[in-house]
Amino acid sequence: MTAETIIQSLASGLLMGLLYGLIAVGLALIFGLMDVVNFAHGEFLMIAMYATFFLFAFFAVDPLLSAPLVAAALFLFGAVVYLLIVRFAVRAKANAGMVQIFSTFGLAIVMRGVAQFFFTPDYRSVTHSWLGGRTVSLGGIFLPVPQLAGAMVAIAAFVGLYFFINRTDFGRALEATREDAGAVALVGIDKNRVFALGWGLGAALVGLAGAIMATFFYIYPDVGASFALIAYVTVALGGFGSVFGAFAGGIIVGLVEATTALILPPSLKSVGIYAVYLLVVFIRPRGLFGSI
Amino acid sequence: MDKNFAQRRRRDLVVAAAFAVVAALVPLFVKDVYVQNIMVLTLMYAALSQSWNILSGYCGQISLGHALYFGIGAYTTALLFTKFGVLPWFGMLGGGLISALIAMALGYPCFRLRGHYFVIATIVIAEIALLLFQNWNFAGAALGIDIPVRHDSWLTFQFTRSKLPYFYFALVLAAIAWLVTWWLEDSKWGYWWRAVKDNPDAAESLGVVVFNSKMGAAAVSAFLTAVGGSFYAQFVSYIDPESVMGFQFSLLMALPAVLGGIGTLWGPVLGAVILIPLTELTRSFIGGSGRGVDLIVYGTLIVLISLARPEGLVGLFSRRRKEAVR
Amino acid sequence: MTISRRNVLLGATAAAALAPIAARAETSEVVIGLTYPLSGANAQVGVDAQKAYETALDIINKAYDFDLPLAKGEGLPGLGGAKVRLVFADHQSDPQKGRAEAERLITQEKVCAVIGTYQSAVAVTVSQICERYQIPFISADNSSPSLHRRGLKFYFRAAPHDEMYSAAMFDFFDALKKKGTKIETLALFHEDTIFGTDSGNAQLKLANERGYKVVADIKYRSNSPSLSAEVQQLKAANADVLMPSSYTTDGILLVKTMAELGYKPNAIVAQDAGFSEKALYDAVGDKLEGVISRGTFSLDLASKRPMVGKINAMFKEKSGKDFNDLTSRQFMGLIVMADAVNRAKSTDGDKIREALVATDIAGEQTIMPWKRIKFDEMGQNNDADPVLLQYIGGKFVTISPPQAAVAQAVWPMK
Repeated sequence: MTAETIIQSLASGLLMGLLYGLIAVGLALIFGLMDVVNFAHGEFLMIAMYATFFLFAFFAVDPLLSAPLVAAALFLFGAVVYLLIVRFAVRAKANAGMVQIFSTFGLAIVMRGVAQFFFTPDYRSVTHSWLGGRTVSLGGIFLPVPQLAGAMVAIAAFVGLYFFINRTDFGRALEATREDAGAVALVGIDKNRVFALGWGLGAALVGLAGAIMATFFYIYPDVGASFALIAYVTVALGGFGSVFGAFAGGIIVGLVEATTALILPPSLKSVGIYAVYLLVVFIRPRGLFGSI
Repeated sequence: MDKNFAQRRRRDLVVAAAFAVVAALVPLFVKDVYVQNIMVLTLMYAALSQSWNILSGYCGQISLGHALYFGIGAYTTALLFTKFGVLPWFGMLGGGLISALIAMALGYPCFRLRGHYFVIATIVIAEIALLLFQNWNFAGAALGIDIPVRHDSWLTFQFTRSKLPYFYFALVLAAIAWLVTWWLEDSKWGYWWRAVKDNPDAAESLGVVVFNSKMGAAAVSAFLTAVGGSFYAQFVSYIDPESVMGFQFSLLMALPAVLGGIGTLWGPVLGAVILIPLTELTRSFIGGSGRGVDLIVYGTLIVLISLARPEGLVGLFSRRRKEAVR
Repeated sequence: MTISRRNVLLGATAAAALAPIAARAETSEVVIGLTYPLSGANAQVGVDAQKAYETALDIINKAYDFDLPLAKGEGLPGLGGAKVRLVFADHQSDPQKGRAEAERLITQEKVCAVIGTYQSAVAVTVSQICERYQIPFISADNSSPSLHRRGLKFYFRAAPHDEMYSAAMFDFFDALKKKGTKIETLALFHEDTIFGTDSGNAQLKLANERGYKVVADIKYRSNSPSLSAEVQQLKAANADVLMPSSYTTDGILLVKTMAELGYKPNAIVAQDAGFSEKALYDAVGDKLEGVISRGTFSLDLASKRPMVGKINAMFKEKSGKDFNDLTSRQFMGLIVMADAVNRAKSTDGDKIREALVATDIAGEQTIMPWKRIKFDEMGQNNDADPVLLQYIGGKFVTISPPQAAVAQAVWPMK
């Protein structure tokens, strides 16, 4: 194993990690707002990738240009999912936690079925794009442009999210609602509206991730499953409720994955991620940066 | 109230006995092996979900990694039988005990975790086991274990065409899981768990004993699940890591209880009786289209039932039961 | 409940074990069951398979002027012109479900034969059930060598298995080496389910036997979100030949990741699967000029055997795709089975089995480059010679074995 191999692995791991963070941050945001884990998160990613693909295939829109459109579409979708399903799930008088898990899990199954019905199970790819297939070489270390762009979008999204939550009225409303949903009703904030917007925002973020992913990953109805578990572990590792935690969690997951593959047979590389998660929560039961 | 409770328990026992007798008679009239196959699966999932319910429903420790115990049960039986000629009945016992020990070893660090941290821990532990089995050459790695079927025998618990022996075994397993749950409801453990659910402060004062009782629940739950896994290995006579330890399987074990009524005595049975025939029939009669319609139907039902009946479908049958249990 | 149950149980068990499958009445219809993944992650394969089987069905049930068993004339002449009907069942890639569906096909749909399954793991349970009910099973497109070595009487495979395929690759290497091409080191890259594991084992064994050095033997998790670490190791090993055994999804990601990490292998010789799928070439075909894949089918054959082109056109009309390695094997699976039913002049499982044992179809009467179809005592056709195809200028040309080759291999790949 040469130094170059190690550096290359870590660099690839870091880029993937930032992307994992971007995929996971929407999940973290929604959880932080209302303690709900969206078990259809992987399927949100899947439809974002399909949206990007169809904009490319039918209208020749480059994924980079369609990213804002996809994010907007996912924003609407997320808000609708909240209003039609999650709103009722959190109201459940019994077994609220269970109802949230299984209503979103049921939604995930429906979304896969619908995708298969309308889009067929064929594997799709965005064959050429401004980002796809390009790579930057720095002294023998290769940095693929799609992942590089993904990493930059991830960083920008985190910075933007930070300012959004801390500096805007809506962000403060989000924070306030999260801290005390009962009290905000008294000051005239409509809880449902805030939650719907929160879901929209969370979905929009995974929409951005999907648009970037579409430039280098294959697309089919079950593609979300490959990323869903990693996204949950990322969020939990960073600490539920912490947006910064998701960011840090993503980077750790990416680096651990790359390192494990250097030491163990690559088919066991996820074992490293899972082991680190267990280690962290056994020592810190609230994840690295969890507040609750 | 106590008198009511005792009365209800007696009634539950009578009803369960009546159900068991009726169920035992059904195969005498239903000869179609496809339908019998669905009945075997329904009973198997009822038993598995009942076992899952002990830890996740009554104790409130939601596990989405029970495929781990199921897989260990299946692998212990299959490995002992194919490699060392040990009869599956011993494998069943061995798999159950190993699973119970593992459940306690894992429970020790995991029960300190709350909510989603615990759920994700159970998922990743089962995933780690899946990956290890996938790479373990002695256990056939990805190729799995093909259990050769020679002739019908109760000794080796193998039957080439008949589903009836499997049916009755699954019925007994489901009955045992039900009885264990029934017994737990009225035990010290059952009282503690209810007390903890009703009043978080009680959890503090009961801290140590409750922790120990949870370890016990984990062990019982894992043992029964592993026996279910052994049963599966004999029933299907082929196992591979993906089909006995996959995450999908953990969800399938939880679903009947969730839909029927989590933390209730009858929920898992009711859920399994509705859900398993439904999944089998949608796949067989709509799935052949290749268009994913079966997934849409199945998923929609899960969403609708969990939203419309958060307390589970048992709520349709009895209002009183709910308050007594919870 | 205690006394009678035991008796009832034993009685019923014995009755079920002894009763033969009800003799199937002579009908004007022959029902054949097919079990494939029609939903879930591999649904695409099942959907394509349906089209392949429908093409074969069309040829059997209607009159065509092809030199293929049962093409001329309508239906099965051996059964008074009976038509074949197909019943598809979805096994969702799950061995337990495959088993239940096979049982349903046999007992409810009264099929007289079963064909399947794509996944080898499902073939294990489906063939087991067929054995129990004494219904012949043709493993049309499973390539795991362990399948036919289980001593099953009702198991048949007309197509090659992975050891035959891998041997064809090493024959090709040996031939190149003899001509002075440098091939010393190999890198194996295979996924972690049955297909990849079996293929990897076969290749490792052959490499040791024939004196090639395996410089990397990488088993990876199928459907991984990222393959950069794996590709990094392949790049570091920089073998003379990269030998992937991957399904479509991982194949696409592998090729993209190799390009991203600046790894240009000297040559790729793939164990089919993903590398014969149109979706893979649609996605990354531009990076695969010169890739070699093993296969059982080659459209080149159309120049020698015009019916291959015509049948391919029929399939393309249904599916929008050319025959590939999987769909061509599926097509042949049904032809072979229907031919046996026809010769058995019966829908009885044992008689069909006897007819299958007696099968001897000349290679020219297939759409494959095979010598012939004749099953050995384990139900394997050892005369199904695999071919190696090279992807040149957007299509596949046959480069090996010499008797089937239409072009010289381009080596190294570009």
